[in-house]
Amino acid sequence: MEKRPNIYLPEIARIVEVRDETPDTKTFVFRFRDDQFHDSFAWRPGQFVELSVFGLGEAPFGFASSPTRKESFDITIRAVGALTRALHAMGTGDEVGIRGPLGNHFPFDDVQGRNILFIGGGIGLPPLRSLIHNMLDERDKFGEITILYGARTPTDLVYKEELKEWEQRSDVKFIVTVDRSEPGWEGNVGLVPMLFSKADIKPDGTTAYICGPPVMIRFVIQDLVSMGFAEENIISTLERHMKCGVGKCNHCCIGHKYVCRDGPVFSYKQMKGLLE
Amino acid sequence: MSRALKLQKSRWPEWVAALQRTAAVIAPVRLHGEDVAFERITSPSEITLDFDNTADPPKRFLFPQVEPLLRYRRNGGYAVEPVYDEEPRVFFAIRCCDVSAVRFFDFTLGAQDLPDSYYTARRAGTALIALACHEPCQSCFCVCADTGPFLPPGGGYDIQLTDLGGEHYLAEVDTDKGEALVAAAAELFAPASDDDLAQRRALEEASEKRFPSEPRLYFAASSRKVSLDTAEAELWQRMARWCVACGGCTHICPTCYCFNVTDAQRNGDGLRSRRWDSCQYAGLTREASGHNPRPEQSDRVKRRVFHKISYQYVARDGMQGCVGCGRCTRICPGLRLGLPEVGEAIRRAEWK
Ligand SMILES: Cc1cc2nc3c(=O)[nH]c(=O)nc-3n(C[C@H](O)[C@H](O)[C@H](O)COP(=O)(O)OP(=O)(O)OC[C@H]3O[C@@H](n4cnc5c(N)ncnc54)[C@H](O)[C@@H]3O)c2cc1C
Ligand code: SF4
Ligand code: SF4
Ligand code: FES
Repeated sequence: MEKRPNIYLPEIARIVEVRDETPDTKTFVFRFRDDQFHDSFAWRPGQFVELSVFGLGEAPFGFASSPTRKESFDITIRAVGALTRALHAMGTGDEVGIRGPLGNHFPFDDVQGRNILFIGGGIGLPPLRSLIHNMLDERDKFGEITILYGARTPTDLVYKEELKEWEQRSDVKFIVTVDRSEPGWEGNVGLVPMLFSKADIKPDGTTAYICGPPVMIRFVIQDLVSMGFAEENIISTLERHMKCGVGKCNHCCIGHKYVCRDGPVFSYKQMKGLLE
Repeated sequence: MSRALKLQKSRWPEWVAALQRTAAVIAPVRLHGEDVAFERITSPSEITLDFDNTADPPKRFLFPQVEPLLRYRRNGGYAVEPVYDEEPRVFFAIRCCDVSAVRFFDFTLGAQDLPDSYYTARRAGTALIALACHEPCQSCFCVCADTGPFLPPGGGYDIQLTDLGGEHYLAEVDTDKGEALVAAAAELFAPASDDDLAQRRALEEASEKRFPSEPRLYFAASSRKVSLDTAEAELWQRMARWCVACGGCTHICPTCYCFNVTDAQRNGDGLRSRRWDSCQYAGLTREASGHNPRPEQSDRVKRRVFHKISYQYVARDGMQGCVGCGRCTRICPGLRLGLPEVGEAIRRAEWK
């Protein structure tokens, strides 16, 4: 049979490593089984894949590592349902299907020379980490880089070792907070927006990237707007139930846009124009 | 390309038999009792041409209710391969609104910037022989949707048949595929005369006049309100009280194409299939967190109408999402939430 491009056909990838992040979240490191395919696989931070656990189906997940680190790619996954729990039971060498890269990506080239503000909440940090790594690997192209991160408790913080490295870097301002403290925690306690006063943010010349639970995104956007951020300089992602990931199945539409194809990255200006 | 031929009425079964030699023929068949539905026929004698429109649209022959996409095997590692269905098909006596619905699918699933290869594989082998309408069928409003009762050249058919009233059908051949269908039994066709073409035009006009003035969708007015989000929120809530969320309106609709994807497996070997879904179901948008961006049935009723008639979608898909077949009116348990009724209510800003 004639070979034709098939938008639903996954490529086989292997789990290279699994790292525990929190009690319900793990980072999976993947590499395509076919080396040649792996080497040709190109994607940008903000994009996502449809990941197959064969027998259970597919679900969308964002890239958590930078395309500048090509040997493999990370996806950080919280166990919430059948597919993600099955994935959590898998280990090194196990195979999954990966379809992608899908969706649009975070603005990168357009923001060169600007200050960058990252605001992550809980499991929203992983997609930002992809862009953070990408920008740190090309550090001289950007102005000040500030990372604000919040999680429910210290246990719920992902990338714990890496957070310490960011804290120590002189070319990055990194501040973390938790909603509720735990014994041994000496850092900030309170919701993410409390970090704004500590971070000395300059709305002019800064682009903000936000990823986290919907309520957090809503409050953070309000704060940024009242600080004087222009709507087009506030960048976030939208999450929707997805099936096809390619604008065909209609699960993820908002108005006449598909989050999977036109997004998942939108500026606040664009979000406001989406009819629901 | 377009040329007009004549086919002797009594001889269409011979033509169908000739078509069957190279393709599966899908045609209207009278089922037990009253309903006429598209079925794959084994003999021309099963076909009925005495029908207004079929109860369900021919959609399932291009976009099956359950359709295998991928087969995978686990033999050490996984091997995945697509499952295509490329059997050649001819739709015989498909109505103009349903031809338009196939064209709509060409814009959406088939869209060339991102073609759905399962749809395009099936569609490539599918030819459409349309049958123009002399009478409006129950609840239909194709005149408002500009999808019938006759189609102009370029309307999506390969051949359009018109019953000229006497001994003949007029056969308008519009594509290369159409030419091939004629070539299958060329001896049955003769060139049509200018009189035949004048007769066809007269029949079209007479047919249009027979359409009742109600129900009318008033596409322009309702589309404007829906597109600008100025339809009264209250309306959606009142409509939602009539909706039992059965999904019937979307399943019966020749242009609806929401789908879900599921895996089935045994001992590591499996099949991934897609199946029809519906924007009228709460589960379409419910996320893993439990959050649902369209929590109320009124949000979902509004969603369906938006996808059908907003001009944002017209611009995106090149065509309105409703072809005016009226099937949703017939299927809705309350006989209330068909597009014509909903469209008219939106225009008048009242729903009783
Ligand atoms: C662009 C994008 C990027 C994402 N990135 C990440 C990421 O990096 N990390 C991460 O952990 N998560 C991410 N997610 C979320 C992730 O996709 C979900 O957590 C995942 O789909 C859950 O799958 P599951 O099979 O384990 O859960 P499921 O068992 O599918 O889901 C649990 C819930 O989903 C709903 N549901 C699922 N299927 C249906 C259906 N057919 N009908 C009705 N309801 C249904 C139900 O409400 C059910 O209770 C992302 C989502 C999107 C859209
Ligand atoms: S057919 Fe009627 S009741 Fe059923 S989902 Fe559609 S609008 Fe609701
Ligand atoms: S919305 Fe109703 S009238 Fe319009 S095409 Fe669909 S079933 Fe037919
Ligand atoms: S996930 Fe299918 S349309 Fe977006």
